[in-house]
Amino acid sequence: MRRILLACAAAFLAGCVAPPARVDVSETRAPDQSYMVDLPTGWIKHTQPDKTLLVSRDGFPLQTIILAHAPLERAFPRTKKAASETMLPSELAELYISELKNRDQQLSVLKVIENEPVRLDGRDGFRSRVSYMTPRGLEMHHVSYGLADKSGFYRIEYAAPKLYYFDRTLGDFEKTVASFRLTNREKTATK
Amino acid sequence: MARNDRIALAAILVGAALGMADVLASLAPFSEAGGARPASEDEQRVWSQAQEFSGIIGKSGVLYQDGALDAYLQQVMDSLFPEFRGAIRVRAVQAPQLNAFALPDGAIYVNTGLMARFGNEAQLATVLAHEGTHFTHRHGFRSQQNLKSNAAFASVTAMLGVPILPQLLAISSIFGFSREMETEADQVGYDRLQKAGYDPHESPKVFEHLMREVKAEGVDEPFFFASHPKLKERVDNMTRFSARAPAGGGGTSRADYARTVQKLRVDNLEGMLSMGRAKSALLMLEDPDHLAELPPYAPYYLGEAYRLRGGEGDSLRSEKAYLKALADAPDFAPTYRALGIHFLKTGQYSESIRHLTRYLEVAPDARDRKYVENYLQIARNKKEGR
Repeated sequence: MRRILLACAAAFLAGCVAPPARVDVSETRAPDQSYMVDLPTGWIKHTQPDKTLLVSRDGFPLQTIILAHAPLERAFPRTKKAASETMLPSELAELYISELKNRDQQLSVLKVIENEPVRLDGRDGFRSRVSYMTPRGLEMHHVSYGLADKSGFYRIEYAAPKLYYFDRTLGDFEKTVASFRLTNREKTATK
Repeated sequence: MARNDRIALAAILVGAALGMADVLASLAPFSEAGGARPASEDEQRVWSQAQEFSGIIGKSGVLYQDGALDAYLQQVMDSLFPEFRGAIRVRAVQAPQLNAFALPDGAIYVNTGLMARFGNEAQLATVLAHEGTHFTHRHGFRSQQNLKSNAAFASVTAMLGVPILPQLLAISSIFGFSREMETEADQVGYDRLQKAGYDPHESPKVFEHLMREVKAEGVDEPFFFASHPKLKERVDNMTRFSARAPAGGGGTSRADYARTVQKLRVDNLEGMLSMGRAKSALLMLEDPDHLAELPPYAPYYLGEAYRLRGGEGDSLRSEKAYLKALADAPDFAPTYRALGIHFLKTGQYSESIRHLTRYLEVAPDARDRKYVENYLQIARNKKEGR
């Protein structure tokens, strides 16, 4: 989380992205135009240089919703694996969790609490929930949705300390997920 | 320069030299546990930082939780450094990288990935003796006297407020033990190994094996044991020392060590595969001797490693390995799921249905039940041509 803050600060100071802004209108188009989503109003949104969208109400270390889109071949850069639209949801979830585990040492020993197939905008995807400890011993919970479509790999994540914050805004996150739709209307057949 | 000035300068130089002598004297190796404590405020500060690091390691959930294994590690360490019992504390870190490191206060950490690769206790003892010597000879504190190391240390602790784990676990690189210190750790460690009754001829094998693996993997991680030139030096030193040692010694039983670390090896394999490190896993699993030391269901992991590598011919290799796992351990549920998914993907729907159904019978409370039920439905639909 600290890294997210540092990345935001560095990008903002470098003048390459817009500063964080309040979400006044819920319906939001992705920075790369690839999806539409309803964000919780009154929250703060911030776009990273790679077009990843970060949203928070109480501050990024306390809860963050992350929306990201990547080309299939660059879906999992740390493990250097590609996603494909024909992958089974469990295979996609496996690659995603593997990528998470390679983010840093704390995440390498994350515990998978839930991992199940879901439908996202009419497509097959996955939902996982993992937990891990920060270096200060704070338990974090991290829920992720993911789907692969011919236009790329999409992930919607929510991370917050289990203590107080996670349950407090989980409902807002789930509403955001439910509103997620790809702008590419030509939907691929489900497996 | 006036004569008085020259005398003053000489006095300063002599004073400085005497001061340096005091510093050097105070940095003599510790001789036993009672005397192993900081000798100055500076050293106390370094120990405090080390304790803070240990606290973070503990809180981060990366310590491998196995009391019996902790006791075993400590027993091997105490046999190498009997007079330091209580002062040197060893713990295993749950991480697949080939790493071990010593903190200045006597805390020693060995990655499960490294322990899983040793062939016997003598090889483990070689690394513990090396790391223990870094503590007894105060290499951590001495490295802190080096400006560069201080800067690296400060950048880790100050920039982010607290050190983050990747840097923390590369601590041996951060402290940057000099070549002389590493050689000293080789020499003293080797003497300890021999004195404790371990077969010294095992010592070069540890590093030779690791060097082969690092080379095969093209590892570029900043970990001490993953550094190829440093490994080469370890091999050269250990080969030189052991060349004059008589044959024989203890700690060479592969079977005893394999029994002790069997659970750790399985956990390490699962950790590696869940991180996508299929090639590293295959380096171990394709070794028939290593595979034979694992539980009967181990070929399942071999199959998983082939599947994850996904190279030419790996699909067939994984099927063969899964079938071997099924034959050797018919009650091991994950094999049924793996075969069910494999047959689903290869269009053998009847076989897929059979194995996925069996999986849910063997593991009715499986966490991935919803996925499997979905796949069963897909297989049935495909079989019926829908």
